[in-house]
Amino acid sequence: MSKKEVSRRNFIRKTATATVFGAIGMSAILSSCSKKSQKELGLPPLLDKAPKGKKLKAGLVGCGHRGTGALLNFLSSGYGLEVVALADVFEDKVEACRTRLKKYKIELDDDKCFVGFDAYERLMESDIDVVLLATPPHFRPDHFKKAVEQKKHVFMEKPVAVDPVGIRSVIASAKKAEVLGLNVVTGTQRRHQRDYIATYEQVANGAIGDIVAAKAFWNQEHVWFRRREDEWTDMEYMLRNWNNFCWLCGDHILDTHIHNIDIINWFTGKHPISAVGYGGRHRRVTGDQYDFFSIDFDYGNGLFSHSMSRQIDNCANATGELIVGTEGYTNCKNTIYNLDGSIKWQYEYPKDKEGKSTNVVKIPPYIQEHIHLVTAIRTNEYVNEAERTALSTLTAIMGRESAYSGKKIKWEEIMKSELKLGPKEYTMGDVDMEFEVPIPGTAIKS
Amino acid sequence: MANKIKNKIGKYKFHFVLLLGVTIAYLLQFAANKAVEYTSTDKYCFSCHLHDHAEESWRFSPHVNNKGGIIVHCVDCHLPPKGSGHLLAKAKHGSKDLYGMLFKDSTDFNWASKRNATKANEFTYQESCLKCHSNLFPTSLSVKGEDSHLYYEANKNELTCLNCHLHVGHYNPNALHASNVDFGLEDTNKEIYTDAHEITSFKNFTEKIPGTSVSFDMVAVPAGEFKIGSPKGEDYRKKSEGPVKNVKISRFFMAKIEVSWNEYLAFFNETASEGRKETTDENDKKESEVDVISGATPPWGAPDQGWGKGIRPAITMSYHAAEVYCKWLSQVTGKKYRLPTEAEWEYAARGGKTSPYFFEGEPSNYSNKSTWNKIFGQDTSVIARYVIYDANSEGKTQTPNMVKENPFGLVNMLGNVSEFCSDWYSPKAYAQYKTKTIIDPKGPAKGKEHVVRGGAFNSDASAVRSAARDYTQTKKWLKTDPQMPKSIWWYSDCVHVGFRVVCEVDSEISKKELVKE
Repeated sequence: MSKKEVSRRNFIRKTATATVFGAIGMSAILSSCSKKSQKELGLPPLLDKAPKGKKLKAGLVGCGHRGTGALLNFLSSGYGLEVVALADVFEDKVEACRTRLKKYKIELDDDKCFVGFDAYERLMESDIDVVLLATPPHFRPDHFKKAVEQKKHVFMEKPVAVDPVGIRSVIASAKKAEVLGLNVVTGTQRRHQRDYIATYEQVANGAIGDIVAAKAFWNQEHVWFRRREDEWTDMEYMLRNWNNFCWLCGDHILDTHIHNIDIINWFTGKHPISAVGYGGRHRRVTGDQYDFFSIDFDYGNGLFSHSMSRQIDNCANATGELIVGTEGYTNCKNTIYNLDGSIKWQYEYPKDKEGKSTNVVKIPPYIQEHIHLVTAIRTNEYVNEAERTALSTLTAIMGRESAYSGKKIKWEEIMKSELKLGPKEYTMGDVDMEFEVPIPGTAIKS
Repeated sequence: MANKIKNKIGKYKFHFVLLLGVTIAYLLQFAANKAVEYTSTDKYCFSCHLHDHAEESWRFSPHVNNKGGIIVHCVDCHLPPKGSGHLLAKAKHGSKDLYGMLFKDSTDFNWASKRNATKANEFTYQESCLKCHSNLFPTSLSVKGEDSHLYYEANKNELTCLNCHLHVGHYNPNALHASNVDFGLEDTNKEIYTDAHEITSFKNFTEKIPGTSVSFDMVAVPAGEFKIGSPKGEDYRKKSEGPVKNVKISRFFMAKIEVSWNEYLAFFNETASEGRKETTDENDKKESEVDVISGATPPWGAPDQGWGKGIRPAITMSYHAAEVYCKWLSQVTGKKYRLPTEAEWEYAARGGKTSPYFFEGEPSNYSNKSTWNKIFGQDTSVIARYVIYDANSEGKTQTPNMVKENPFGLVNMLGNVSEFCSDWYSPKAYAQYKTKTIIDPKGPAKGKEHVVRGGAFNSDASAVRSAARDYTQTKKWLKTDPQMPKSIWWYSDCVHVGFRVVCEVDSEISKKELVKE
């Protein structure tokens, strides 16, 4: 045996050993790093303020309470943010918003305040960078489409449509926006709420094992409504009472319960394949909507979510979510439980001066979402939430239509449905529409 | 000195050889690149592909004739992009083309038959479409376009661009891509029949559709007994074709040819409805609607595929539409028209023969499934006299006068278009019959899809055997219908199925016959 050979053998032995140890060491390092990062999970950056950058001029479409609120949220999300135009179908709404803005020393010229059904078009054709869409959801698909055509970045409120035709329009506009590099953030604010996000991170990293079941609930007291005033035409009445007409609002399963449904879609990472639901109307005073829904959403492979939404006083009212996994369960908001009910993990809220938990997140989610939008525009960290919110809205529509009809509705049916609510054209007069409250199934033939 | 030089050369010999090698390799690669480049030019492609105005139809297509002034070349679509198996595909298609050029005559090919989505997908690459058309949602996209592209994105595994954009590379003036609201509306000055034919005895007759100028021949098929299914040794037999059973069939009338466009359009024009109703459930109809037959909605595109109407068999109508047609025909003629049962169909198709076809020859002699036949060709003169199938159809339906009738006097039972039967389909249909001899069987009591019998213009000889069975595939045949609910009247993705009517022999005829006797 020559010396050379020996040394080679030695070399092989040594390198082999090194390789084995190397591999073990590497895998140890890898496994310790296997926790998925915020970016991998598609989570938003959680800044306290948007970074400074170019001045952004915003226009608001829909000057009601939420619209005005969204505008103030936008303005407070960073520096160099301005509002330069307002649009609403009613003049009094625009004026009320203008008056509120004066308190913040913001003055808007008359020629930047647009009124009427086409107000949004004139606003979007003006010199602005960002539009905030906060009209009743019926109009959202058209507004979003126009915004993309006019190359504006968009914040839009949920729900993003009231019918499948609108949903498809929103998804298509979302894809167009992506090509044009236009950022879109939607008002599903739980996705920008730090405690929800932290809980999601826990679940996504296996804290409750595999998800097996869920429930989502938005059971509350009755909501606002307007009784008709004598001088109002049909259209004016419906618009001022939009929250109670399905063609404008989509019913409350869209308007409010969408938040919970969106959480279940987010945590499970999918949308349901079908829905069987029921609902009815006992207490409502105006409009044509239901006041309760109960939907069984089937997510496939045995996973389901029970979805409840009700707007009736003095009932067992509460809102929230619950997701059960093979190794625990969570309220999705701030706590992970073991299967025996003991607490496994809890979100740590900021503490007050006395060291007590404040129980609220540091940055309100309604501002956090605007910080995200402004950050995305200024740093080229692209964001577009329109499609996912459209899919959550469509989930709610699928549930609604199942309850209205009594039938099982499949995802592919609702995705392709030609259902389009509302009048053919919008004019401020009387409207030839019927408002029968839907009754599921057929009558007993006796 | 010389030695010194020699030494020097010796010293650099290795470098010299290396340099030489690199140069040769470079030159070879250069030549190969040039060859690839040259054989990828449109001019080179068209030097062989002279067929069927390949070049002209390309020049008229939006891939050349467009606003942007962009020309999309042959290889841009007919080969995958570089890096996605470009050279491999080039070698594959190139060797096939070379073989074709050396051993085949391009005039023998049926180029028109290759202009459908299935065939076109074999020599057009989806990756290539998407390489240029990487933005499926341009701002200018219409709402219909948005819906279609969203549908495509949700069904990427099953759809390609060509399902909708078949003619973008080669212009087809007959292609229609719109809702066909004028479909079937023709002015005619022909004689309009006022009365249907009256049957007085059991013999062939010509039915006249009242209110139209349309007539068609009905053949009296006598009662008899036959063996349904194929024996175990039959070429290309499938298990569902057995076990063979004895069947007794009562007499009936059967249409000589498959329901033609003339006949089907008479129905369409009289009953066509404007738009789809939300409810398609018969039970949901109001009482007042029961007697009024509401027929098909306008089709999308050209249901005749641009092949022509007239006496060519009607195609692409749904099974439901065929059933409603029979109901309507019964109503206007005062007779009992319906789809044949599977047993009636096979009895009629066999014309008293037990062989695979009612004419001479074995399926293995005619079929293209045999490699031997594929390479050396086959003598198809007999089969081609009786059947329109893939070897003689030119890839489309043909008029019935192209072939001869069978022993009963029926035309195109085995080919041209497949035909709906009234039975529910089950692969075990025959096994389920318990008795040795079955009388007028009607198939399984329940099922999901219906029986389809007889081959079609695109069938291989193995599928035009009298015993060959097939069935409707509702979901597949409606794949590209973008509506929901999908059309109940027209299949979007099935061009090879039509139907043939039978007329029941009324007991009245029997009485009349007795009177005569």
